[in-house]
Amino acid sequence: MAALTEKPTGKMTVRLVELDRSPERIGWLFMRLSGVAMLILAVGHMVIQHILNSSTDLTLQFVAVQWSSWGWKAYDIFLLWMAIPHGIRGLLTILKDYIHSPALGRIIGILLALFVIATVIWATIAIALFDPAMVP
Amino acid sequence: MSSLILTVRESIRYRGRSGQYSWMAHRISGLAILFFLVIHVWDTANAYFWPQAYAWSLALFKNPLFGLGEVGVMAAVLYHAFNGIRITILDFKPEWWRHQRASSLIVWGLFFIAFIPAAILMLGSMIGHCQALAAAGDNCLRIPSFSEFAQYAR
Repeated sequence: MAALTEKPTGKMTVRLVELDRSPERIGWLFMRLSGVAMLILAVGHMVIQHILNSSTDLTLQFVAVQWSSWGWKAYDIFLLWMAIPHGIRGLLTILKDYIHSPALGRIIGILLALFVIATVIWATIAIALFDPAMVP
Repeated sequence: MSSLILTVRESIRYRGRSGQYSWMAHRISGLAILFFLVIHVWDTANAYFWPQAYAWSLALFKNPLFGLGEVGVMAAVLYHAFNGIRITILDFKPEWWRHQRASSLIVWGLFFIAFIPAAILMLGSMIGHCQALAAAGDNCLRIPSFSEFAQYAR
């Protein structure tokens, strides 16, 4: 981990280093990239559902209108794929601050990963196969 | 339990000041969003898998108790989004770490500018919904019964 550059900026020195590729680093990068994506996707979802519309008017028929276009289905599926892994990884980060056994941390990590996979698959099937014509 | 009390007490007591409060607010808002999100995703999947349960849950979530929860989720999403962008920028721009305090105050400012009008709007439609139900002789605090949504049974 040799320093690539060093620049003193007053009180502190900023040192750019080359890191090894590791799952931890990929996870760190995923949190930033999904976070930036969700500034548009998740905040946009909140604006559409709660500012432009209201959940007091939400019905199955309203959902059928939203999910009658593949564009909005893709929007929701993409948001789902960003939000669930981002949230569960955040939970694991918090839990690992309070779990002192690495073995227990790994077991909880595996269980949470399985939960992410199950949730994402289940909800993706629901959005993809939802047929507006089935709504009475 | 004692470790939980210790965690909460020391999180507040620690001398990190503005950065410390941002860190705490980021964690609490993240946990709140995740709690909502997991319920929201499995519930919404029922629109396809079990429409009657989904239609019932929509009616249940129009209860003002859930409505207040939604205002909380709006607050959590806005704060977590703005502060998350701050964290990301500072991660890639360590030269700007000296602006930690100013940047966390900017995030709080942006948060209140976005959240206050959103909250007023959401609370307004909640009150409107309760007034409309009251005019129809119903009560927005009533828990809807599952059989009211039998038309969606598949």
